[in-house]
Amino acid sequence: MIRISLISSWVRRRRLVSTTIAVLLGVAFLSGTMVLGDTLSANFDKLFAEVSAGTDVVVRSSDALEIDRGPDDARAMLDESVVDKVAGVDGVASAEGQVVGYGALVDKDGDPVGGNGPPRLAGSWITDPDLNPYKLVEGRAPRGDDEVVVNRGAAKLAKVDVGDTATVQTPEPVKVKVVGIATFGDADGLGQTTWTAFTLKSAQEHVSHRAGEVSTVLVRADDGVSSEALRSRIATQLPDGVEAITGSQLAGERSDEVASTFLNMLRTFLVVFAGIALVVATLSIANTFSITVAQRTRELALLRAVGASRRQLRRAVAIEALGVGVVASAVGVVGGIGVAGVLKGVFDAFGFSLPAGGLSLEPGSLAIAFVVGVVATFLAARSAARRAANLAPMAALRDSAAEVPRIGARRRFAGFGLGAAGVAATVVGAVSNTVVLAAVGALALVAATLLLAPMGMAPFAGGVGGLLQRLRGVNGMLAEENARRNPRRSASTATALVVGVAVVALFTVFASSMKSALADQVGDDFAADLAVTTPAFGGGRLSPELTGQVRDLDEVADAVGLGGGPAKVAGDTTEVVATEPAKLPTIGHIDPIEGSFADLGDDGIAVAESKAEDHGWSIGSKVDVTYVDGQTETATVRAIYGKNSLLGGTVVPAAAWEAHNTQPTNTTVLVDVADGVSVEQAKDAIDPLADRNSGTVQDADEMASTAGQGLDLLLGIVYVLLALAVIIALLGIRNTLSLAVHERQRELGLLRAVGQTRRQVRSVLRLESVIVAVFGTVVGLALGAYLGWVLFATVWTDGGGFTLPVARLAVIAVMGAVAGVLAARKPAKRAARTPVLEAIAAQ
Amino acid sequence: MLTYDPNLPVAASAERATKVYGVGPTAVRALDEATLAIPVGRLTAVMGPSGSGKSTLLQCMAGLDTLTDGSVRIGGDDLSQLSDNELTVLRRDRIGFVFQAYNLVPTLTAEANIVLPHTLAGRKADPEWFDQVVTTVGLADRLTHRPAELSGGQQQRVAVARALITRPELVFADEPTGNLDSHAGAEILGFLRQAVDGFDQTVVMVTHDPVAAAYADSVIFLADGRPVDQIDQPTAQAVLDRMKAFGDAGHALEANGAPS
Repeated sequence: MIRISLISSWVRRRRLVSTTIAVLLGVAFLSGTMVLGDTLSANFDKLFAEVSAGTDVVVRSSDALEIDRGPDDARAMLDESVVDKVAGVDGVASAEGQVVGYGALVDKDGDPVGGNGPPRLAGSWITDPDLNPYKLVEGRAPRGDDEVVVNRGAAKLAKVDVGDTATVQTPEPVKVKVVGIATFGDADGLGQTTWTAFTLKSAQEHVSHRAGEVSTVLVRADDGVSSEALRSRIATQLPDGVEAITGSQLAGERSDEVASTFLNMLRTFLVVFAGIALVVATLSIANTFSITVAQRTRELALLRAVGASRRQLRRAVAIEALGVGVVASAVGVVGGIGVAGVLKGVFDAFGFSLPAGGLSLEPGSLAIAFVVGVVATFLAARSAARRAANLAPMAALRDSAAEVPRIGARRRFAGFGLGAAGVAATVVGAVSNTVVLAAVGALALVAATLLLAPMGMAPFAGGVGGLLQRLRGVNGMLAEENARRNPRRSASTATALVVGVAVVALFTVFASSMKSALADQVGDDFAADLAVTTPAFGGGRLSPELTGQVRDLDEVADAVGLGGGPAKVAGDTTEVVATEPAKLPTIGHIDPIEGSFADLGDDGIAVAESKAEDHGWSIGSKVDVTYVDGQTETATVRAIYGKNSLLGGTVVPAAAWEAHNTQPTNTTVLVDVADGVSVEQAKDAIDPLADRNSGTVQDADEMASTAGQGLDLLLGIVYVLLALAVIIALLGIRNTLSLAVHERQRELGLLRAVGQTRRQVRSVLRLESVIVAVFGTVVGLALGAYLGWVLFATVWTDGGGFTLPVARLAVIAVMGAVAGVLAARKPAKRAARTPVLEAIAAQ
Repeated sequence: MLTYDPNLPVAASAERATKVYGVGPTAVRALDEATLAIPVGRLTAVMGPSGSGKSTLLQCMAGLDTLTDGSVRIGGDDLSQLSDNELTVLRRDRIGFVFQAYNLVPTLTAEANIVLPHTLAGRKADPEWFDQVVTTVGLADRLTHRPAELSGGQQQRVAVARALITRPELVFADEPTGNLDSHAGAEILGFLRQAVDGFDQTVVMVTHDPVAAAYADSVIFLADGRPVDQIDQPTAQAVLDRMKAFGDAGHALEANGAPS
């Protein structure tokens, strides 16, 4: 029996081509995303290992804030005396202190180079070439104040050469002379990180603003001394609050941090999309198998008549499916490697800089993709296998079309049940902001939609049919009949499109609501005349000096900077905003609910209302604040304010912040325009100052609109990834139509014999495809829009802000219909070419 | 009232077999309490006007379809008592089929089609018997061809060979010559005759062709879902006259000619 079925498949291999392609695409995408994830992970690991290659031990402050922060985030500085102490330890070949901090090299247009993920770093040049991962390729090391070495990548971007002068923002602009260009190993830099290195003294002056202090001490061991042994020896010599780790431990920390933040998110993101593509492919496969079984009804029924048992037939279809699955998955896995390359290109095109390197092929990931493909094909073919097994031997003798399967009560029950449960779960999840509940509800709803879709197909076709008949006469009527004839088949054809459109609609609605909600929020919270900001994604900073420079302008009445960063407030690590609170009411028009901003002084804090409630604070309560340098201050609550996105949960006075941080920077400067001066005039005056800091001047409206820009980027990437899923869906539609044409050959031949023209045949098929495609699109839109609301309401805790981007959704609907027409082109042509006599006489 | 030699053993029989399609006012009684017996080792033809139930009878007796009421036996086994799997095995090992058209699996060679029942059972055919059957139907040089490469007559010969390969208790043939020209048809009938005379098979043949019926040892006439007449040692002329009588009278006639 197995032989029979395999022979049969081989002989009819052409019909399996489209199924194979669907599996292939789905598996290729899955395998590609997994390979990309593995590659990125391996590349990052390699990168970090390279940085630490020459370093045996690193000495640094223990992290005072005790949270999952990166090993390179700011810590307390070390006194330079530690360097000498470490150098004196037995087994140390050389020890050097280093300063590392923020520093952006500026190009000829005044824009900082780099950013978009990897940090912009500045600090001190390490003089021991064995400790320094950077190698000079041009010029020399810095000797005088304001002399710098720049990595080649940054030099290329900024178009600077040895001997040029340039500006480095740390964050206040510093004029420097480039005396050397360095490479990181052989590469232009550590990934896309930019590195500007001063002498130690200059770095202490410009970057960390702390004379006599260093960020870390790098240590090289004598030959024959292991890193670990040296590390423990050094550790015993260190004062409290200072720790030693080996170079490879540091590399490990960096890898972990990238993995837990950026990489995991990216991988999840990609795998979710691969999953969607695979689901769509599976639906397509199930459909195809079902049709091929229907096509082979007579052959299969003959086997039943001659004595094949149900089980033998079921197994035959299953084995055929496995065969397709294995072959297609194998090819798909290999193809996925190409996909990984393409995906990488897509990300690069969107401006995400990922470390370069060859593709990393993990056998485990490839095996998973392979197995998933085979299993998916197998499962998809199951219902077809069952149908084959249940064929009555009589069907071998009868000529009439197979009876249309009614939509069973069980299926209806399951569909409605899941639908009700899904709606309940999503609503509750959205209202209570519980992601898991909403997600489970969403899945239930998708399943319910797929189960119940056939029920809607008939009335939909009927409704649309009436319209089509008016527009297209008898062709419309025929198309409607065809679509209505086997609602399960028509609906399952549309299913793949439903899923694809739903996901597109989901993200469109979600992003659009988020954008408008963010804009509203900014609009509510931002009441100043103007603001100087840095681009959301670049990670740029404004120098505190900028605030003073703006304030000095004639056109400006007053200005205040908003900065800050992480700190531990009452035991919880959180982001605090550092500013001059007294100016908030006048410039930002932000007034507290209780207390007064003016009262903060040097040792007060202001907290948000919700935070005060959570901790039971009122005016006068004492709160411990631990800063990044490890020191704790006790602050008194002097003001409580209502929810404001500019202020976050906690506000501390700038003076307090600066006392405990090495490079205080601002993210925003709020501006109060002088009386008698127009906002435009003030803007013009501030612009040159802002440019020097690579910031932009915006009024309230502009602030609101840029709030959502990051989302546009996200949406762009989402659309590119979803395009694949939609393509698979459309292939599925075309596939199904082709097979249906083949199946209806006799009927088509009859119609042609009786007088239907070729053009009419094509037209009917196109219309049929449009009906199915529009059905799929409408259902997909409805489902997607609803789930988009669910996602938004679950994630956005502030309530309100939901918008339905009707125009965009309409575009999607039209595209769905057009896609339907396009998908039908080839099958329609083939149908029109049906040779009349052969078709009627066909067995 | 049917006459058959009670001394002859019975290969298959039907007892008040009834088959109704559909429900309510549109119900069709294809078989109406039909009772008959098929003798062993004979070629029995079943004839009747269209709608008489002859194909339905064949299908129910062969285990391809189930009765609404009454019973059908193959060699003493009541088919209604058998599970689907048992029926399947019955069809595979104890019955041979020749249909009017679409007999063969299009993707298999002639040889593979012939031994199909054995393949399904997971066993090899007896090579001597295989050779004998193939020689009898004259297909020795066509074994590796696919159905598409064979003429209609050759395809039917393959079907006959397959029907005989398991040496079944019964061979059911449903209009085996319906699609063939007279020459090819005569060949097929000759093989069926040889199966009975030379190999002691039992063959039941549904046909509408008096010439084909003349090859049979006896002809059972069906009308309105039940047997109404029988002719032993039929000639084509006798069968033709009897069929005409159906048309003239418009309803079934008793064997002695009296209207019922």
